[in-house]
Amino acid sequence: MILGLLASTLSLSIPLVLAALGGVMSVRSGVMALGLESMMLFGAFSAVVGSWFSGNAFVGLLCGILGGLVIGLAHALLSVRYKMNQVISGIGLNLLATAATTLFMQIIWNNKGSSATVASVDVTLSFLQNIPVLGEIFARQSILLPVTIAIAIVEWFVLFRTPFGLRLRFVGENPKAASSIGIPVHKMKYIGVAICGMLAGLGGAYLSIVSLDMFVRDMSASRGYIAVAIGILSRYNPVKAMLAGSLFGFCEAVQIYLQGYGVPSQLIQMIPYIVTLLVLVFGVRNIKPPAGVGAHEDD
Amino acid sequence: MIEKIEMIDIVKQFPLVRAVDHVSFSAYSGEIHSLLGENGAGKTCLMKILYGMMKPDEGQILVNGQPVSFHSPRDSIALGIGMVHQHFMLSPVMTVTENIIAGVEPRKNHIFIDMDKAVKDVQALIDRYHFSIDAKAFVQDLSVGEQQRVEILKALYRGARLLILDEPTAVLTPQEVDALFDIMRNLKASGTGIIIITHKLKETLAIADKISVLRQGKLITHRQDLGESTMDDLAEMMVGRDVELNVSSEGPVEGEVYFEVEHCSLTRNGLPVLKDVSFNIRKGEVLGIAGVEGNGQSELAEVLTGNIKADQLVMKKDGVEISGDSHSLMGQGIGHIPEDRLAMGLIVEKSISENLILGYHGRKRFCSHGVLDRKNINSFADSTIKKYGIKTPDGNQKAASLSGGNQQKIVVARVIEEEPDVLVVCQPTRGVDVGAMEFIHHQILGLRKAGKAVLLISADLDEVMNLSDRIAVMYEGKIVKTFDADKVSARELGLWMTGEGNES
Amino acid sequence: MNRNRLKSLVIPLFSFFLAIVVCGIIMALCGYNPFTAYSIIFSGAFGSVRNITNTLIQASPLIMTGLGYMVSKRAMLINLGIEGQLYTGAIVAALIGMTDLHLPLILHLAVTMLGGAAAGGLVGLFIGFLKVHFGANEVITTTMTNFIIINFTSYLVNYPLKADGAVAQTERMLETALMPKILPSYQLTYSIVIIALVAVAVKFFIDRTKTGFEIQCVGLNQKASAVAGIKVGGVMLSAMFISGAIGGLAGALQVMSVNRRFIAGFSADYGFSGIAVAALGNDNAIGIILSGIVFGALKNGANILNMTSRTPTEFVAVVQALVVIFVSAPLLINEILHLGAFRRKKKEGLA
Repeated sequence: MILGLLASTLSLSIPLVLAALGGVMSVRSGVMALGLESMMLFGAFSAVVGSWFSGNAFVGLLCGILGGLVIGLAHALLSVRYKMNQVISGIGLNLLATAATTLFMQIIWNNKGSSATVASVDVTLSFLQNIPVLGEIFARQSILLPVTIAIAIVEWFVLFRTPFGLRLRFVGENPKAASSIGIPVHKMKYIGVAICGMLAGLGGAYLSIVSLDMFVRDMSASRGYIAVAIGILSRYNPVKAMLAGSLFGFCEAVQIYLQGYGVPSQLIQMIPYIVTLLVLVFGVRNIKPPAGVGAHEDD
Repeated sequence: MIEKIEMIDIVKQFPLVRAVDHVSFSAYSGEIHSLLGENGAGKTCLMKILYGMMKPDEGQILVNGQPVSFHSPRDSIALGIGMVHQHFMLSPVMTVTENIIAGVEPRKNHIFIDMDKAVKDVQALIDRYHFSIDAKAFVQDLSVGEQQRVEILKALYRGARLLILDEPTAVLTPQEVDALFDIMRNLKASGTGIIIITHKLKETLAIADKISVLRQGKLITHRQDLGESTMDDLAEMMVGRDVELNVSSEGPVEGEVYFEVEHCSLTRNGLPVLKDVSFNIRKGEVLGIAGVEGNGQSELAEVLTGNIKADQLVMKKDGVEISGDSHSLMGQGIGHIPEDRLAMGLIVEKSISENLILGYHGRKRFCSHGVLDRKNINSFADSTIKKYGIKTPDGNQKAASLSGGNQQKIVVARVIEEEPDVLVVCQPTRGVDVGAMEFIHHQILGLRKAGKAVLLISADLDEVMNLSDRIAVMYEGKIVKTFDADKVSARELGLWMTGEGNES
Repeated sequence: MNRNRLKSLVIPLFSFFLAIVVCGIIMALCGYNPFTAYSIIFSGAFGSVRNITNTLIQASPLIMTGLGYMVSKRAMLINLGIEGQLYTGAIVAALIGMTDLHLPLILHLAVTMLGGAAAGGLVGLFIGFLKVHFGANEVITTTMTNFIIINFTSYLVNYPLKADGAVAQTERMLETALMPKILPSYQLTYSIVIIALVAVAVKFFIDRTKTGFEIQCVGLNQKASAVAGIKVGGVMLSAMFISGAIGGLAGALQVMSVNRRFIAGFSADYGFSGIAVAALGNDNAIGIILSGIVFGALKNGANILNMTSRTPTEFVAVVQALVVIFVSAPLLINEILHLGAFRRKKKEGLA
């Protein structure tokens, strides 16, 4: 049972961690990540559309990434170029993603609640199945598990060991200063938010065509907001975001586990949200985002 | 390598003002050129154009006789121009080295930053100029003077041969100013050209080889030879009329002690910021606080006005203990003119009238049973606008539409009209024009004449010395020494401000 | 009307126009004729007295949630929790309404409304408390509490409070707790009078009272407000309480005049629509009444459009989301307007 719980913790963590890794990039470049929800949802939807029309799940995965990217670029355009309040921009895009995905779902599949079933990504780590213990935990995990871990590590190196990362963080800390030494502030923010969109889109695609094989209305279910909380809890550090993300993945795993025990599902479903609330209230005091979040270089 | 830089017939138009109006200007390597003018004369704007941060509407820039056009600081940096801004362009949570190399990082394996090499290079550069800074220190742990040196290093690391310094002495003690001038002379000797933006006449005469004076966006004069220049005629050129450079106050005050502060201590983020600060102010007395910024003055003001809760504090007014948050202290006669009018003093999106009552909007004459009395508010605003000479068509305009000086007049008027018993006033004339400065100084002295107690906190040492009856020096959160204002020199204050003061 | 006023109207109106056009283009691309669709929506919304009353019924919760969202936003608090506060108000109102308190109609109505408002207000206060004392970002806390409240109310009507039958809902409320109809053969109730009163009260509160002034100041510059002696924490708590109370009252009025009982998941995203209503209404009470009616008309018209031509009603939600984005990005709107002006000039230049 513990192994099962561990296995589902890992698989449920993946979308949260991917979105949180995106959020870290965005916040580090000085753009708040409250639009994560929309990037995930639109990514999930685009993935299903891609898979539906191509019949190929990997094309779907790619479409999911692109879907997240589109919303990410919109968020960057609004908040960087048009200096829109980043909170409102995120919320507006979340509303838009909910409305647009439901609308297109009706147009394509004539159904308000869910899409048709499509080809899903079923590549797993099955080569591990004969190893005791490890096999039980990992053999049925998606290929996206090692991919996510790799992304987190690469992101850490990029942020803290490369010139690009130093410049991105500089923009996030003090856009005026960055601009005064000729760092292209807008370009850096566009890149940060674009990467955020792609990662969140991939996380969304995981929800729809890796762990499931269809799109369900509002299927991101506020995971984007939970990912924002994960980002804060990790102090905007990709590797720690991976760990913090697993905490929330564990909550979801417990929730699913409890459903087998006759507790009303409405009560169980509250668990991840209550945990997020508690973490936000008690877990993240005195954590400050980069000083330049929300600031523009020409204020 | 830059030999000569020319700016020809430069124009920069903003929606409401012409910031730079057909100015031509040139600078050469190996000389120090002072760009003189009062706040808002267009000095910084002109230099931001030279540095590529702004684009001119008209005019041309030539480097060594070749026309160039700058799209961003990246272009000017590539040609060897560096700029040290008045508000430092640093990231406090990063190290000295990270701040210096950002944008021009040495690499290893083409991908990663070669941090070892970077630290070594930066430390070598620091040692060459005898700056005594640790390349691995975090910028937030450095003093203001050290941060300024990091800014200079940033430009030198990028190979700057022409250095623009924007009001570099504003935040320094007299001793630090001397050290900065030594650095500037060294740089000049090694062939670097320096443009120093300033409104301080003494410093200009002390360091500059050439002077250009700007007034309201226009070039008033250019002098190659300073031989015939005096403070008075430079001042007149800067302002366009005679200026009273000193407002004098009159001798020690004999009144009774009115406002007392005892054992004021404050800890922030685990560090002591105020250490057992005690002082008193008599009726009709101005007590000035001198100190390098960041030695606890801002926190002292916020503690005394109830905006931060001190760990320990006894405050007495007229022998009676007072305490509370900002709301209740205002009710007990403590007035507060905060140090940063845009961040702390005004709500610029609101009207001038509303800003004139902000904080006092709950008073009976403006508000009854929780409902605001618009008629009284407007008539109060109209008369105050007239009395304080705030330049605006009417009180319904947004405060954002005013110039810095007129905005500051709102903050001053609001508090003075309330006739506080004790006034805590911080940086009252920062970034205002000379006219508003004179006016505000007279308001503060008016309160003094009316027998109120005034605590004046200012980074402008001249202001502190001109307005105060006594001067207390703050260093690292303590009051280290108190002087009678007429018995102390700037030089001596400067020693105490840097912790070098000596009783003997 | 002075020029500033006029200017401030241009952005919302043009944003709405733009959202309608963008949506029209989407409709056209999906094979629907936007002109037919919009004319059906218009006549569906205003074509007859019955259609107009139905539009007002649709507009009622939207005006309320718009007002609630606006009060907190003036203090720069983004209360996405209106949806949850609406559910809280609704379930409390339903419970009070189900209970025989031996009160005459007017009093039972008043108690039911007040109960709903107080319940919503307490939820708002809770969010405000988390913000003021723990610095917890209200966007995330409200999103989380929404889920918790919606799930919990759903649990209540699935288990302890469930009425007989297949649907997860409470028993019907008593007649004394149901809002009377204005005209016998129409569904419209006196709720709209209450809503108009609330709007006027909110306008007076924000523009004329001391607390309203402080809410505006805190929203525009928190630090300066604190320095000026305004108790920022207290002002935030009041703003969140009032915001939540209006959300709770919205829920109470909805069960008292439309559903007559609490039904699990009854809200058609009223809370989130309020964000769009407030944006289009320029964060101003009177503007919100008008924009609430506009969106009510769109919803009502879209229902009729859906019945006649199976065009999805989600177009309305897309328009709402676009309005939120466009209104809040005046630089974008300016650029589009200038682009138009520039083109026109160019054409004139060529001619």
